[in-house]
Amino acid sequence: MNRRSFSVAKLLAPYLFVGPAVIAVAIFLYGPILGSAVLSAFDWNLLSSDVRFVGFANYKAMLESADFRLSMWNTVLYCVILIPAEIIIPLILALMLHSVRGSWLAPVYRGMLFLPTILAFSVAGVTWSWLLNPVNGLFNEILIGFGFPPSRWHTDPELALLCVSMVTFWKTFGLNMLLWLAALANVPRSLREASKLDGASRWQFFWTIELAMIAPTGFFISITTLFHILDDIVGVIDVLTAGGPAGRSSSILYFLWQQGMRFFQFGQASAVAMIIIAMVLLISWMQFHIGEKQVHYE
Amino acid sequence: MAKLNRRQFMTGAAVVAGASSVRISPALSADSRIEISSTWGADKPFQKVVDAFNAKKLGVTVVNRFDGDYESAVAKAVASIAAGRPPAMMITGWKFGYFAKRTLGARDLHEIDAAKADTIIANFRPSVLPLVTIDGSVIGLPWAMSTPITFINSTLWKEAGLDPVLPENPDTEWLYAAARQLDIKLKGKNGTYRSALALSNNEWTSQSFIQNAGGFIIDPVGKLAVDSPEAVAGMEQYCAPAHEGLWLPVSDKEQDAAFESGALAICTTSSTRAASFPLGGAKAITAKFPGLPGHARKMNSGGNFIAVYTKNQEQAAASLAFLEFCASKEGQTIWSKVGYLNTSLHDIPLINDFMKPAAEQLKDGLTAETIWPGKRGLEGQTIWRKWVSRMLLKEVSVADGMKGAHDELLALVSA
Repeated sequence: MNRRSFSVAKLLAPYLFVGPAVIAVAIFLYGPILGSAVLSAFDWNLLSSDVRFVGFANYKAMLESADFRLSMWNTVLYCVILIPAEIIIPLILALMLHSVRGSWLAPVYRGMLFLPTILAFSVAGVTWSWLLNPVNGLFNEILIGFGFPPSRWHTDPELALLCVSMVTFWKTFGLNMLLWLAALANVPRSLREASKLDGASRWQFFWTIELAMIAPTGFFISITTLFHILDDIVGVIDVLTAGGPAGRSSSILYFLWQQGMRFFQFGQASAVAMIIIAMVLLISWMQFHIGEKQVHYE
Repeated sequence: MAKLNRRQFMTGAAVVAGASSVRISPALSADSRIEISSTWGADKPFQKVVDAFNAKKLGVTVVNRFDGDYESAVAKAVASIAAGRPPAMMITGWKFGYFAKRTLGARDLHEIDAAKADTIIANFRPSVLPLVTIDGSVIGLPWAMSTPITFINSTLWKEAGLDPVLPENPDTEWLYAAARQLDIKLKGKNGTYRSALALSNNEWTSQSFIQNAGGFIIDPVGKLAVDSPEAVAGMEQYCAPAHEGLWLPVSDKEQDAAFESGALAICTTSSTRAASFPLGGAKAITAKFPGLPGHARKMNSGGNFIAVYTKNQEQAAASLAFLEFCASKEGQTIWSKVGYLNTSLHDIPLINDFMKPAAEQLKDGLTAETIWPGKRGLEGQTIWRKWVSRMLLKEVSVADGMKGAHDELLALVSA
């Protein structure tokens, strides 16, 4: 290879390495976002020759829809319940697992706790609907056995959202637990030994040293938990409640799916998608703006 | 090397071309392979219909592609039609009639082959043909039809001291009285019994109550009529057992599971369950769907039709060949095992006596389930279900619920 061709290859190399990834992101991420933005200004079902430009009418219709507002409010409630639960409880479980590291029981516990995460949503949904069946589900049989009145569980408008939250949590906490566990394993043992020599208790060590060391993982978990809660709830809602009773367990993403894939109102579905994108961007920006200042990187 | 003159060459070429064309012609039809998007997997009788047709080796091979429920199948069809590759045929729910014709482009069978279409359609009862006639076009084969009937757990019924001879035309007064007696006699005293009654929490059975009260969801001239006094009276009767605590509305799957396990004594649901409920743990006996005292019965039906979507003429002709088999006595006999009603004119025996109430209801005349009109008609079912749930849960009174449903649906169907 002569010097000229070598320098051309050197010049092109970064583009050749990065190019495929950039093209893939452009085609499969930014392309559809742009397509949705355009589609949100039209009244079209993808097939009909009747295509009408409606400007912001789809946004207006969605914001005026009581079902949209209810699903939006439900989503806020899901986030309020699930984000802290999905961060704190997996951390507690990870600390417990970390404390038995080295024991033969550690992988058994880890496997048992992670198992629900790899289960298909359809299987999990059917299983939970059997457990929660208000007529003869196991949970009601237990309540009756202890002399309590039976509950309507996911068919009760007041409990439906909590039931979906419970199943979503059970189905998804395992991933965060593994991430916390990996972070804990990376805390140098020497720090623990040094803190012991200084007379620090286990709690003091965790609160003042360990938590700061695993903060970057915590920041990562806080960002991704929002995304996967929005996403994973849809699977649980679909198989457990179908958004009911009367929309009381629906979420914004489930509402979007209904508009698009059940009613084929792609203009309105795209408007909802754009609203979700704007919301997620805003929340992520806030998380970075506020959260990153608290994070200590080595 | 032997030399060919021009005449010999032309003769040889003509022979080869002729031979090729003779071989190509049957090969084309022999290779006709059409895909049908269906709601049934390989373990269901529909696959047996497909297999029986393929075994005849008529030069058309049908492939049954399981695409989930009606909604999922339609969603996949939208995607494939948008990509320019529609399924040759699709099992389409009655409720998607307008959408199938106006949006998905279901073909008029007469437009494909008028003579053959008439031969096929002649196999069916004239009363079911309006169900597949949309905008004046026959867009499919009236394939599956079911109607809600009453299933009763015979053991629990007997244990509660109720008369095992069921009335020919049961009404809500009789049914609800029986449900109350079941609760009094068995609640807390029987190992499996948990609830007396389930009327199915969906748009289908609520429509039956409205029609049996003399009302309509959409009247014969196409006007939304859910706020009429008759419709409100029907819904009052439908919601009464839920408000009284005799019925715990749950999903269809949960309802079926509760009935089969002996936790639920009475269940009104699709007549297709006559193929399974009587043979299971519940040892179900059947009766007609309850009418309303003092009102003429006017029951409805649900189900699906097989529509042709392909624009390719050869594929469309091959699809008609399959539909011809489906309409034949042989095809209908295989299909009848699933528990749907016999919509054809062929003399096909009922799969069991538990189907008799459904067959009687068919004889009395059945209307279609609600086919929501308008560009946004597909949302109608979800909105109606939402209001039905609200009324069952007492979140709104029945009168307010019907008004709320009317107002929301009106904006939708007139869009």
